[in-house]
Amino acid sequence: MLQYIARRIFGTIPVIILISLLVFMLVQLAPGDPADLLLSDEATPEDIAAARERWGLNQSVYVQYWKFLTAALQGDLGTSFRYADPVLLMIGDRLPATIELAFFAIIIAIVFGIPLGVWAGARPNSWVDNVGSFFGFFGISMPSFWFGIMLILVVSGFLNLLPSAGRSTYGIADDPITGFYILDSLLYWNWKAVLDGLSFIILPAIALGTNMLGILMRVTRSSVLEVMHEDLVRTARAKGLSERKVLWRHAFRNALIPIITVVGLELGTLLSGSIIVETVFSWPGSGSLLIEAINSRDYPLITGTVLAYTLMFVIINLTIDIVYAAIDPRIRFEK
Amino acid sequence: MRKISIRVSTTAIAVSALLTGAAIVSPVSAQKRVAIGATETISSHNPHGDSISMGYGIWCQVYGCLGYFDFASGSYKGMLAERWEVDAKDPNVWTFFLRKGLKRHNDGKELTSADVVHSFWRMKNDKQSRQTQNVKHVAKAEAVDKYTVRVTTKKPTAPLLEFLFDRVMITGKDLYDKHGPRDADRKFPLGWGPYKLKQIVIGQRIVLEKDETNPWATAGMPNELIFRVMREAEQRVTALLNNEIQIAQFIPPHLAGRISNASGADLVPTSSVELMFLAMSPKFKPWDNPVLRKAVCHAINRDGIIKAILKDQAQRLDAPIGPGQYGYDPKAAAAMKIDFNVAKAKEMIEKAGLKGTKVALSTPVGRYVNDKQVTESMIPMLKAIGLDATLKTPEWPTLWANVQKGKVPFYYMGRGGVVDPSPAFAQYFETGGSPRIGFSSAKVDSLLQKERATFDPEARKKIINEAFAEIVKEQPACFMWRHKLLYGISKKVAYTPTPTGRIWGSDIVVK
Amino acid sequence: MKTLQPWLKPKIVVGGVFVLMLCFMGVFAPLISPYDPNAQDLLKTLQPPGWWGSEHFLGTDHVGRDILSRIFFGARISLVIAVTVVLISGVVGVALGAVSGYFAGRVDFGIQKLVEVVWAFPPLLLAIAIVAFFGQGLGILMIALIVQRWIPYCRVARGQALSLRTRDFVDAARSLGASDPRIIWFHILPNLLQAALVIGTFAMASAIISEASLSFLGLGVPPEIPTWGSMLADGRTYISTSWWLALFPGLCIFFTVLGINMLGDGMRDIFDPRLKRSGSGMG
Repeated sequence: MLQYIARRIFGTIPVIILISLLVFMLVQLAPGDPADLLLSDEATPEDIAAARERWGLNQSVYVQYWKFLTAALQGDLGTSFRYADPVLLMIGDRLPATIELAFFAIIIAIVFGIPLGVWAGARPNSWVDNVGSFFGFFGISMPSFWFGIMLILVVSGFLNLLPSAGRSTYGIADDPITGFYILDSLLYWNWKAVLDGLSFIILPAIALGTNMLGILMRVTRSSVLEVMHEDLVRTARAKGLSERKVLWRHAFRNALIPIITVVGLELGTLLSGSIIVETVFSWPGSGSLLIEAINSRDYPLITGTVLAYTLMFVIINLTIDIVYAAIDPRIRFEK
Repeated sequence: MRKISIRVSTTAIAVSALLTGAAIVSPVSAQKRVAIGATETISSHNPHGDSISMGYGIWCQVYGCLGYFDFASGSYKGMLAERWEVDAKDPNVWTFFLRKGLKRHNDGKELTSADVVHSFWRMKNDKQSRQTQNVKHVAKAEAVDKYTVRVTTKKPTAPLLEFLFDRVMITGKDLYDKHGPRDADRKFPLGWGPYKLKQIVIGQRIVLEKDETNPWATAGMPNELIFRVMREAEQRVTALLNNEIQIAQFIPPHLAGRISNASGADLVPTSSVELMFLAMSPKFKPWDNPVLRKAVCHAINRDGIIKAILKDQAQRLDAPIGPGQYGYDPKAAAAMKIDFNVAKAKEMIEKAGLKGTKVALSTPVGRYVNDKQVTESMIPMLKAIGLDATLKTPEWPTLWANVQKGKVPFYYMGRGGVVDPSPAFAQYFETGGSPRIGFSSAKVDSLLQKERATFDPEARKKIINEAFAEIVKEQPACFMWRHKLLYGISKKVAYTPTPTGRIWGSDIVVK
Repeated sequence: MKTLQPWLKPKIVVGGVFVLMLCFMGVFAPLISPYDPNAQDLLKTLQPPGWWGSEHFLGTDHVGRDILSRIFFGARISLVIAVTVVLISGVVGVALGAVSGYFAGRVDFGIQKLVEVVWAFPPLLLAIAIVAFFGQGLGILMIALIVQRWIPYCRVARGQALSLRTRDFVDAARSLGASDPRIIWFHILPNLLQAALVIGTFAMASAIISEASLSFLGLGVPPEIPTWGSMLADGRTYISTSWWLALFPGLCIFFTVLGINMLGDGMRDIFDPRLKRSGSGMG
């Protein structure tokens, strides 16, 4: 097992280098020029030429990539054109906000999606199934940008319950420790700040998690439905276990593989989806950072952010494969 | 539009000093906090690291700048500079006289000419500077004495103050020398403006706190000014109506009703200094034919669009610029007006044998007020005069890169920050200004050059209008309108927005 | 009549009616639309739905186009996009996933590296790059959507195939001398289809929604082609003042998802013998 993990980790290094190369080429080849976009409308061609020179854009792509790669291996991802800050620092600032948001979105999706799916799968075509499925379809067919605005209009606007934008109120929290606002506030025992953080995160987390909730509900339902007819469930039932125990201990446990696969996949989608939700809610995370970077063709920042995302995806995939092995010993990794 | 507190007559200073004194003595409501929902934000701690309008405003209130354009009087007013003059013999030499006795936040260091010279130098040489264009006309800046700075331009530049006033942030030379640029910006953001910088969370908010001892700080203005990033229009409206924010920037026309119908907030329009136009590059076929360009200008029902899509929140442009902008002349503008005349346009197209010509209009999406909707509605108008028109909506960076390289024949675009039209028109219509429109006319070139070298305002305005008339004759662009920018203002504060989009704390009065 | 009976379940009937209606709308759009979907009328912008007997049944949009006609024409494009994207990405994804999981080892390693590289790319960046290079167009949009969409199928199929390859019935087939392609085709693939079907049914919705997100960024189909996604993206601007712009295309997407899923569910009940045997006892 350990050997397997080590090999997997080793195997991701070429993937990351390959992606860095691809991103680097892609952003450079895509139309649009950071100097055009970042300088003011009044900038002269000379200003633009000077900026290009300063940012090293007049060198060939290969030279630029080589410089980037050698610096990156020493832990330097370059300096953002737009924000004039080291990329690594910026990602360190923004990524926790996205992870925090994604975490709450997943919690919402799991807490509602899985029980709904299990109940629906245990009793197909019952009213539980129908109501649950309705919510599931609702989640699946709801674009997050649209749902987000509806939440702002209804919950913050009409009901006036929660704030509409941002991550925190100014002047409540202490200096950050980890960058995770709610966790930091907990560490300080600052309950006011915890509540403040929660009030800001609820709406974007719902907007982000609803789609995953729907998908999770449908997948859980179908997996449980399938497992309910396998021998082990019948055996368990025959042994006289209560229906509830049969459901959660046997059926659900055996339906976990597809569920975990989907959670893993959706984590990736979730991180990408955060780009839109963060924009709608002005959430200062790495998703909105990436979109700003793309919109200003901030090459170092795009590359850095994409690499950070890549690293997360890779870690997620690895974790999921390990979880597979842990819950289903039938999977063998060597032929 | 009144800029009461940043007015720089000696009496005003005395008055505001008095008011400030009063504010310290009397226990005024301790926390007067005004939050602003903004669409754009500063992206850097470096005061020279942005070139957005709102950013200039924020930094000028923190660090201070030499002066600003006052829309109420249509003239420039000094801030850190008490007065200024152009050398009578050599129009390249400008002298700025700094106000004496200005004390910096926290450490109380006095403003000197060394700081101003340093700021010019830093804007030009800082690797992160995004304001080099503002000092491009400056050949050198030198300290004459402790409070006098002499600026020498490369060529006589009549609109120099447009570049040097509220776009040049004056930062402390001593802090830069001692701490280096990074720490100076982050740890010692001290200046001579009425507000201290309290917090920047890039992408989320900027918090300013009033410096009570500052000569421009008045009792009425908010103690805390929070600029919050809110990119969605619905969000700004919602937050305003919830009193989460007190000032909401840029309300799109179709949401105006939500604010004007609400009891807690008012809708305040301001004219903008952004010109919206359709560019038609004569470099490309079929746009090299002036008949086509003119026919297109006749074909667009500007009043209809303003009414139906912009909900009357725009001012039609008859001339290249409109009221309030430098050099606007109503009489000259009336002569340049192009009427909406489908029959005429159709006839022009038919006579020129252009019927069925394919044209593709490119538009940004979501960059200007209802840009896509506006251009969508132009397509049937172009079809009505016999053109085979389609709409293209490329992603902004792609479109902008191609426009800047002169690769887009026909596009809808805006040019912001046009207070004095000189830089914008040189950029778009002078040969070698930029490849954006690809227009070149010896006559326009000579007029624009002459205008820049003319220092007498009346004579200069006349030449500007001659240049406009020449441009309108050739029609490389149809000038459409200037959007009225709508602000939502809570009834708890009094504020009149300015056309430049800068928000001055000194203009806000908390009720 | 007896053979028809299993087909008359409410799920199949309702789902089938939805799907048929949508197909009908799409196919006959030019005949049933009251207006040209691109005809504008600036004097009649943002008119609320007038229902029966009025000029505009579902109202008009921001440039005065008839929403009902745009919904009909939009059904065409949106369904074409959804079906094409789901079919192509499903086939590619399941095939690669089955091969990857069945062979495991080096083959799996290689395919999963490909998956990691493609999947780790933020989709938006990839879409921007594709559209920026090749220009706006329906085909380009579908390619931009497919490029990453085969991955969920591939991952799920692989996960299941990994588990299946060690099951007794696969071992049995192998010991009987069945070739690898044969085992994959007859023993692995049938067991992957269920999960693929589930993914496919919600991937239809996500294809339509992604098209909306791309339209919103100006990267969707050219603006003169009406799609539900672009209608939704345009209507979002007017959400608090003119709800009908975004509501109707939104409802269409919802009912499409609902219809396809109900139909999928119902069909599975019929075709899956295991469910048929014991399912009745559960209902």
